[in-house]
Formats: sequence, structure tokens, C-alpha cells
Amino acid sequence: MTDKMNDGPIAEMTFEAALAALEQVVSQLEGGQVPLEQSIALYERGDALKKHCDAKLGEAELKVEKIVAGGDGDSPGSAPGTAPFNTE
Amino acid sequence: MSVLILTHPSSHAHVTPPGHPERVARIETVDRVLAAADYADLPRAEAPAASDDQIGRAHDAAYVEMVKSSAPAQGWASLDPDTHMCPDSLEAARHAAGSNIAAVEAVVDGRHKAAFCAMRPCGHHAEKDRAMGFCLFNNIAIGALHALEALGVAKLAIVDFDVHHGNGTQDIFWSEPRVVFASSHQMPLYPGSGASHETGVGNIFNAPLNPMSGGREMRVAYEGIVFPALREFDPDLVMISAGFDAHRDDPLANLNWGPEDFGWVTGEICKIAAECCEGRVVSTLEGGYDLDGLASALRAHLDALIAHVETLG
Repeated sequence: MTDKMNDGPIAEMTFEAALAALEQVVSQLEGGQVPLEQSIALYERGDALKKHCDAKLGEAELKVEKIVAGGDGDSPGSAPGTAPFNTE
Repeated sequence: MSVLILTHPSSHAHVTPPGHPERVARIETVDRVLAAADYADLPRAEAPAASDDQIGRAHDAAYVEMVKSSAPAQGWASLDPDTHMCPDSLEAARHAAGSNIAAVEAVVDGRHKAAFCAMRPCGHHAEKDRAMGFCLFNNIAIGALHALEALGVAKLAIVDFDVHHGNGTQDIFWSEPRVVFASSHQMPLYPGSGASHETGVGNIFNAPLNPMSGGREMRVAYEGIVFPALREFDPDLVMISAGFDAHRDDPLANLNWGPEDFGWVTGEICKIAAECCEGRVVSTLEGGYDLDGLASALRAHLDALIAHVETLG
């Protein structure tokens, strides 16, 4: 894990990078190696990373719903669609 | 007979580097609170300095020597990234520890039902052999061990409501069945310890609280974990690590306690002391870094202690 990955602008991070950075933050906080004065800033960065991950997940879910809804006019909120499994 | 207040001028001489949150202004704020009309008549005592032997009940001898030899002639010496000593810090730390010794003596011998140690540096992060988190000596542990070893107290409980886990107190009493240590704290946060599964010899009760949680969640944790443990243990003395950094305005944490929450938890702890040990309570200052938040939470804490003593009659 590079410092650059952990310290970079969160808004520009991919989901994978943000999750990896979040895991590093949690590991540091749980490991007790972070000075008291810095622990709150680290926690708050972790919180921002979590929110970024949540937002990225939300975007991905929306895309999946649109794909599942397909081009037949179903709304994204309807039950997941299935294609017939035709072995012929 | 009311709440005995222990102070010492050396708390003002423990100067930390510029910008450090554990600063002289904290004890000046505490002094201003205590000077208000509501508290001006409380009995006062000057905290003595703890001896090496008294400090050595909680800390390894080599650690005590290390702290003593670390005091700089000028400027600061850093014992860890958070914890700094100025030339007068050793004296302040000795008196902060000694305040807890004098407080347990006053409460155990019945001169006072409750006492509050208005001292710094704080203590609950200091482990047997390690300075941490602004703490040099573990003041409350030194007081507790004095009660057990010198005053004939058979068993006692320490409740720690500072927003950071009291890792030092847990470390010192990890294998000590005569002490129950119960702590509420934000998790995750410094120092990283304080999970529910950390139980010592069945004498450690950790109640981690989620960031952004407030008084309602705190009450659930205390009523579900801490208070049942205290009642079952039936201590002969109750001690409180009173940190005020769970206050909603504190810059070093994310809990949302208001003054009424500090008053409530103090009052409930005192009720248990009244049930178990004729109301004997010793409280000691730990954290709290927003000066207005510190003042309002401290007032609520003191009001609850005073109401407790008045109830005892």
C-alpha cells in the first residue's frame, strides 16, 4: 500500500482504491499505532472513504438495475428480469 | 461533608508544546468552574506528591526511572508522539498521582463521601511500562492500588467514561480480580483497544460506542453492560476516570454527548456506589479538549456528585 494511495484526493479514487485505503485506515486505528492527536483526523478520512465507497456502490447498483431492466421498457425499480434459458 | 476537591499548582506548570490539545488552558478552565459560586464552598485539599513506591505499585520500576530521567532541563522531551515532558512535568505528574492517593484516603476513612481530583496530566493511557496519549503515570490506578494495598479496601471498581479507551488502566488491572474496570469509549478511535472481547480475568467490561452516537446509545451501553457488572461485583469503593471528550463539541472525537449525559452517567454510578459501598466515590479528571464543552460537562459531573453526597445525608 502506498502513501499516495492513502493520501490522495478521495473524489478521484476508484472503488477499489478507496476500499483499500479504508482498510488501511481501519488497520491503523485498530493497531494502536496512530497518535491520539492524529486519530480523529484518520477516523474522519476513513469516514469520507466509506462514504465514497457507498456512493460508488450506489452508482454500480444503478447501472446493474438498468442492465437488468433491459430494453423492454421495465422500470429500474421493478423485479429483476430474467432471460429464458434456451438450450436449443 | 461534601465533595472534596483536590488541586495543586503544579498542574499549571505542566506546559505542552504550542498547539497541543492537552494544554494549561484546560486546568485554567477547570479552575474557573470550581471558582463559581455553586462550588466555591466545596472543601479543598492540596494534592501531595506520590512517592516512587506508590507510583511503583502501578508501574515497572524501570519505567518510573525512565520518566524521572527524561525530564528535560529546558524545552520538551517526547516520550511518544503525543506525550511530552517539560522541566516541571515530573512534579505535576507526581502530584496528579498523589491527588488520587489523598482522595481515596479521604473517602475510605470517611472524612468525605466523594472527591474530585482536578489535576493534570491525565493518566488512563499510561500502561505499566509505557507513556501514551498525554499520560505519564496512571493516576487512577495508583490511587486504586493505594486503596487496595495500604488502606485495606478488598475490592473496587473503576468506571472510565473518557471517549478514548482506558488502555493503561486495563493493562495494569488485566489480571487483578480485586478490580473491575468498565469503560465506554468511541470505537474505532485511539488507542485501538477496548473491544468487547477484551475481558481480562472476567474483570474487564468494555462498552465500545459507534462514532456519532449520543446519549441514548450511551445509556443502552451502561444499562446493558456496565451497571450490571458493577452491581454484581459489589465494590467497596467506586472510582471514575472522568474524561469529558465525549462532549459533542470535542475536537478529538465524534460522540454526541451533552452535559445532561455526563450528569446522568455520574448520577447512576453514584447510585450504585450508594447501594454497594455507602456512596464512596473518587473521580479524577482525564480528557476533554473543547474548553466550553469541558466546562459544561464538568459542571454537570460536579452537580451530580454534590447531589449524591446530599442524598447520603
